[in-house]
Amino acid sequence: MVAFAILSVILLVSALGVLFFHNPLHSALSLITNMMGIAAMFALLDAHFLATVQIIVYAGAVMVLVVFVLMLLNIKEEGPRKTTRLFVLSCFVAGGLFMYFGVPIMYNAFAQFPAFNPNFNGSMQTLGKELYTNYIFPFEAASVLIMAAVAGAVMLAKRKFR
Amino acid sequence: MHMGIEVVIFAIKLFLVFNIIMGLASFCTWVERKGSALIQDRVGANRAGAYFDFNLDIVRGFPSFLRPLGAPVTYALLLPVVTGIKIAGQLGIINTLLNDAVKALFKEDFVPDGVSNFMHSLAPFLAVLPVFVAFAILPFAPEFTVLGTVVRPQLAPIDVGILFFLAMGSVAVYGVALAGWTGNNKYSLLGALRASAQMISYELAMGISVVTIIIFYGTPDLFKIVELQEGSILQWGVFRNIGTGLIAMIAFFIAGMAETKRAPFDLPESESELVAGYFTEYSGMKFLIFWLGEFAEIALFSFVMVLLFFGGWHIPFVHLPAGVWWVALIGHGVLMAKVLFFCVLQIVIRWTLPRFRYDQLMNLGWKFLLPLSMVNLVIAAAWELSK
Repeated sequence: MVAFAILSVILLVSALGVLFFHNPLHSALSLITNMMGIAAMFALLDAHFLATVQIIVYAGAVMVLVVFVLMLLNIKEEGPRKTTRLFVLSCFVAGGLFMYFGVPIMYNAFAQFPAFNPNFNGSMQTLGKELYTNYIFPFEAASVLIMAAVAGAVMLAKRKFR
Repeated sequence: MHMGIEVVIFAIKLFLVFNIIMGLASFCTWVERKGSALIQDRVGANRAGAYFDFNLDIVRGFPSFLRPLGAPVTYALLLPVVTGIKIAGQLGIINTLLNDAVKALFKEDFVPDGVSNFMHSLAPFLAVLPVFVAFAILPFAPEFTVLGTVVRPQLAPIDVGILFFLAMGSVAVYGVALAGWTGNNKYSLLGALRASAQMISYELAMGISVVTIIIFYGTPDLFKIVELQEGSILQWGVFRNIGTGLIAMIAFFIAGMAETKRAPFDLPESESELVAGYFTEYSGMKFLIFWLGEFAEIALFSFVMVLLFFGGWHIPFVHLPAGVWWVALIGHGVLMAKVLFFCVLQIVIRWTLPRFRYDQLMNLGWKFLLPLSMVNLVIAAAWELSK
């Protein structure tokens, strides 16, 4: 419980840091902290596999690329942002619309998934079995999507050969 | 009461693991200093130690409580100590373990202009921390029973096992990247970019060769993997499945050398091009912490190699009774001997081979090692299925 409280504080602070740091690399580091915090959250729930994969994929692969690009482009520190009244208003409108449409959609989407297996204990074996039996279609669909993204990235990078 | 025993056992394990890391790292430092001298036909570090001639005058100058013993007895008592210090000095042990650290502690801690002090100091620790944390999942001796409790010499017995090692390997990039960025000069930045590109590239080959081993033994749990390698030498990971184990081992070893960023893969810190690469702007203890991390990484990779491919604590064709404390002790000794062998091997390779060119490095990673380990994985899986 204490660990959960400490983690929540770390997660919230780092999430706010992503938004409010002026230096993009500080924002990226803050996001890494957040990702690691989420992994720790998974570990607290005894989902060791999810925690490890969270670190490998998000903290290890995705964020490394982000940091890499930030360092390559050498983006300078932003000055203080100008917040006009219109900007604040549009933020609220966008947020409200997202809550109004997005939350019911997500709620319905999760309701349609097969029922949660009570024998699930977060170990690698049970997770693998679940993924390859009950959740085989979403799993394969996701892999097709990722494959399409990879093919697209290769096409973009090799544009001169078209 | 039961809880108390567990806490005590955990504390002892923590102490042991920390000592294993530091011991292996200092051993590697010493081999690097003195072994490189041996390879290059130099004398090497030998200037620290006892440099007085041992004669009776000095014995008389020693503490007064020794005087009643008379000169011969005092001589006999002090001779081993002084000779020990002299030999340690000649071998460079005092130089590498004591003098280097003390020297680094007293050096000026330099922070470049226009850089956040916090970020600059954070980088070396970010580079070292994942390596140290990864040691938590490594078992360092077989299980044994003491006072009625089964002790598993492993800090964190999590079921994902070896995957955690890969996760920590991928996080280790940040320390290097941050170091290069806070260096605030072009050499540091270039070194950091090279380092992160190299570490990302070789992570893939390493991950896939680890998956090959998971397929052989059907579990990612390091403890079970080692237990399954008991008996004949053919049970070792290297000799499994018609040579696929050997290829996986080679891929893992090359990728491991690239991950530790040492010659022939030391492009991130190549002194002829980038001064010192990503840690150009580091001095004193922070610089030494980078080196500690590098040597701890060598130890980590040797450790994982031995656990995955070379039978861990098992002696081939020898069956020892399970669950006895002296067997655990022997197992630990055998494991450490194997680990030390691979530590020394990595250092010998570092001092033997010249540096790659950058395109050669990338070609080796992406066009040779990755396809090789992928094909190897498919063959290994097919063979395992057909059994």
